[in-house]
Amino acid sequence: MDGEPKGRRSGSHEEPSVWEWVTAAGGTLLVLGTVGLMLSEALRGESTPPDVVVSVERVEAVENGFRVEFRVENRGGETAAGVKVEGEVRGGGGTTETSEMTLDYIPGRATRRGGLFFREDPRGSGLTLRASGYAEP
Amino acid sequence: MVYPGGLVRFRSSRSASSSERALQHPAPRDHSHCKGPMGETAGAEHTGAASGSGPTRSRGERSTDREFAVGLARAFGGAIFFSLPLLMTMEMWWLGFYMSRLRLALFMLVMIPLLVALDHYSGFKETSSWREDVVDAMVAYGVGFTASALVLALFAVIDTSMPPREIVGKVALQAVPASFGAVLASSLLGGEGRAEEERKRSVGYAGELLFMTAGAMFLAFNVAPTEEMILIAFQMTEWHALALAGTSLVLMHAFVYAVDFRGQHVVPEGTPGWSLFFRFTVVGYAIALGVSAYVLWTFGRYEGVSPETAAMQSVVLGFPASLGAAAARLIL
Repeated sequence: MDGEPKGRRSGSHEEPSVWEWVTAAGGTLLVLGTVGLMLSEALRGESTPPDVVVSVERVEAVENGFRVEFRVENRGGETAAGVKVEGEVRGGGGTTETSEMTLDYIPGRATRRGGLFFREDPRGSGLTLRASGYAEP
Repeated sequence: MVYPGGLVRFRSSRSASSSERALQHPAPRDHSHCKGPMGETAGAEHTGAASGSGPTRSRGERSTDREFAVGLARAFGGAIFFSLPLLMTMEMWWLGFYMSRLRLALFMLVMIPLLVALDHYSGFKETSSWREDVVDAMVAYGVGFTASALVLALFAVIDTSMPPREIVGKVALQAVPASFGAVLASSLLGGEGRAEEERKRSVGYAGELLFMTAGAMFLAFNVAPTEEMILIAFQMTEWHALALAGTSLVLMHAFVYAVDFRGQHVVPEGTPGWSLFFRFTVVGYAIALGVSAYVLWTFGRYEGVSPETAAMQSVVLGFPASLGAAAARLIL
């Protein structure tokens, strides 16, 4: 083993480059940070059941009637799946018109947007929107 | 879905450093027939490295940095390549926000030792230290995170209007297979080709079991999030499940010992077939079932189902997992 080199051991053997250390530190930070975030979420007990609130954003006349754009906010911590949104418009002559749609998923504390169509003009006083149900994913 | 080849070394074997490291461990048996990265045998490196090892310190460092940059780019490629099917699976996005935070956190932590061990066993075993393996594994995890976030943002699966929990969950879940891809990258996209077959002979029984675990995890993860998994289990009778378990075992054994895939294992002389079958195939199938069960539990698939359904789901997922386990023995 006369070829056993001097100084090599102190060279790159087991000494990853600076950038490697930096990248590895970044990776470690990402993993531990994420894990920490999740644990804290889990431990703070933020997993409250879904609490879904629907609010109207805009009403506009369209080709075949009226479009109501709304946002749905899940104020609970858990995800709501298959959220059904129902809208009701009370017309002038005592008639009511209902429309409904389903949103696939609304994660906890997230907001989703959607729209409903009506033939009657909902811009009077008689528009109500509500979430009528959900499933656990 | 099969991934042909060994693992990434972020410091590629082309660097002077790895031949230097080889120099310090001149004894290992597998180096004598291990093809070096430049087409020389490792033995040739032993004698010839002195002539090629004279770069000044600063030049050497610069080239190490360059090697690292290349390895990093390759890892990115691998991370995206291997996790693309999952990045484009909507169940994965949904699981990212609705699965249990505790289980997701645990899952991410469980992956760390697996990545480290994979890196250890499939790198140049004699020459790399555990510390390097840990560094490599954490680099891979970082790459997995970044690659997932990038692709999910490109797909508009994540955007700034979403709550942090949703974004973090989606990226974190994808980062697991992506980091796997980053570690697997050099096999497929990198240049160390031939050394693998020689290397893997020396991993020992524990190494084989580890490879099977990794392979099972990778394939199980790829199909576990989909609804089809549940649907298939619902459609099957107990007889189907038994037949599927038997098929898994036969295929596993055949994959490794019979059908002449690249990297096929040679049956050592005097070793009876049943011994191999029990020590590797049956144990491998048990690992595949265990990994399947763990992944299913992590994804919450066991909630509110009868024990029979749970077992059925495990057998269904155990099918791809067992093939993954067998393939990993050939490839890694």
